[in-house]
Amino acid sequence: MQPLRIALAQTAPRLGDLEVNFARHHELLAEARDAGAGLVVFPELGLTGYLLQDLAAEVALRLDDPRLAELAAATAGLSAVVSFVEESADHRLFIVAALLEDGAIQHVHRKIHLPTYGMFDERRFFAPGDVIRAVPSRLGVGIGLAVCEDFWHLSTPQLLALDGAQILVNVSSSPGRDLAMSNEVGLGTATSWRTLMRAYAQLTTSFVVFCNRVGVDESLSFWGGSEVIGPTGATVFEAPMFDEGLFMVDADLADVRRERIALPLLRDERPELVVREWRRLIAERAGLAADGTAETGAAAGPDVAVEP
Amino acid sequence: MSDDRTAAAGAPATGTQGDGVPAAGGAGAAGEPLFVLPEELAIDTDVARKAIAAFVRGQLKQAGFERAVLGLSGGIDSALVAYLVTEAIGAERLLCVMMPYSASSPASRGDAEAVVSDLGCAVELVGISAMVDGYFGHDGVPGEGGPSALEAAPLRRGNFMARMRMAVLYDRSVSWRGLVVGTGNKTESLIGYTTLFGDSACAFNPVGDLYKSQVRQLSAAIGVPEAIIRKAPSADLWPGQTDETEAGFSYPELDRLLFWRVDKRRSTEELVAKGFDPAMIERVDRMVAGAEFKRQVPPIAKLGPRTAGVDYLYPRRRPGSSARP
Repeated sequence: MQPLRIALAQTAPRLGDLEVNFARHHELLAEARDAGAGLVVFPELGLTGYLLQDLAAEVALRLDDPRLAELAAATAGLSAVVSFVEESADHRLFIVAALLEDGAIQHVHRKIHLPTYGMFDERRFFAPGDVIRAVPSRLGVGIGLAVCEDFWHLSTPQLLALDGAQILVNVSSSPGRDLAMSNEVGLGTATSWRTLMRAYAQLTTSFVVFCNRVGVDESLSFWGGSEVIGPTGATVFEAPMFDEGLFMVDADLADVRRERIALPLLRDERPELVVREWRRLIAERAGLAADGTAETGAAAGPDVAVEP
Repeated sequence: MSDDRTAAAGAPATGTQGDGVPAAGGAGAAGEPLFVLPEELAIDTDVARKAIAAFVRGQLKQAGFERAVLGLSGGIDSALVAYLVTEAIGAERLLCVMMPYSASSPASRGDAEAVVSDLGCAVELVGISAMVDGYFGHDGVPGEGGPSALEAAPLRRGNFMARMRMAVLYDRSVSWRGLVVGTGNKTESLIGYTTLFGDSACAFNPVGDLYKSQVRQLSAAIGVPEAIIRKAPSADLWPGQTDETEAGFSYPELDRLLFWRVDKRRSTEELVAKGFDPAMIERVDRMVAGAEFKRQVPPIAKLGPRTAGVDYLYPRRRPGSSARP
């Protein structure tokens, strides 16, 4: 198998400016194509910028928007992951990542987990997606799309891998914070993300492609540091923090087979057991079933007694 | 507990990231530490400089500006910001304005000049004595503020001076075509040691999330003159004033307390267990709570269907909002 050349478009989107951002996507797609890339990945909300607030409704795109069709048309012989605000027919707004291939929108992933705590306020402005699916791609392997916070939930990479993804793509707008010197790379956010991505790549024996934006929206500085991690958990490439750029990475997809033969973790997963236990938990948390392992006096859900 | 120790500057147990806190330990010529850096507050100054440079460039770009202006007092905060802005956009795009009052310390002026000559940025001297005296009066002659203003306490005068400096900076913002860069640090913002619409007024602030100790660490890393790092911080509102004597505690201990209280969400019991004095905890808590209003945009009475800051929420800049055509 030919190595797949992945282009990481670590861009700094212009907040709320569709025209500028679409133009930049076209430029970078062309540049990546010239450099021989087979997969081009743009960051979360690369077409709109992140901190939109009430602008979200103004930059939202219907999936039949001609600007999307035009961008898709620029992917003949290419795969690209782009991200924007989707407005559904019933006027819900979603943060989405879309796989564009050979001129068409192949798949749209609506962000499942919308952080609404601390510095984040996404649920106020957006609806959460309800579907996680891996999709076949022209690259010959399944692709799993996820957006930023989706990867802070274990189930996301696991479901995508079990559904057939061999490349997990996470597009992010992760704001940098915590400069404590005790952090591995001088930035708390980066340290956490790097830990997660290596663990997911290893546990799902898949490639993890992480594209995080740079630039500034209001108080937030996005730290970049996009990466490709191989199915052994080893780093294939890491982009610099805070610098804009289009970075080319060659990934040997045959590594997935090698690793899955040597370390058949996915083969040995027990989805039937997991789903059984999840069903039990859901029933117990809803108070619909007794919890045999809970302390006396525990409320539905937590197994420990609530203090009086 | 090991995280309660206070380390000498630049020598935290975790080691540095190699951008040269001077003399590995920050020891100055006299052999004394240049500043005290509590271990848990040590930051990666390389990453900080990169993040701040990106922030400064991003703010200007979003607003459609290419230049910046700031008030340079001769103190460490504004000196550091001058270095950071220069690193981000180049000295030729920075204007530093020195705005002394007649009673301001001449040494401050000298320190400010040292920064400007080191950086090679534009500088202007705009004295504020006539403006301040014009209001409060001087030599027993009342000003526009009336006879009672002659008796105004230093705090009133100090606040007024800070607001005159703000007025000058915002005027120079127009003539220089640059955004006003804030220089207030996190420590003074949290305890409210700022003048509302005075020194806290700015278009953006690159150091407002850094404690004073971290300002010192970053200043040493970026090359702020040692004399500025070493001297006692002062609002210079009256001769001999220093922050620490006025507040009654040192910056390193105050920074540590604020860090554990605010950033790490420790309870009073947990702070006491860490060795903090209960009376100091109580006093600092009061200061922080009492200054909440200074850190927020004033509330607007909610009367209409859509109200700025309540349910009309837009980023400060968006397409079409550029200040320049």
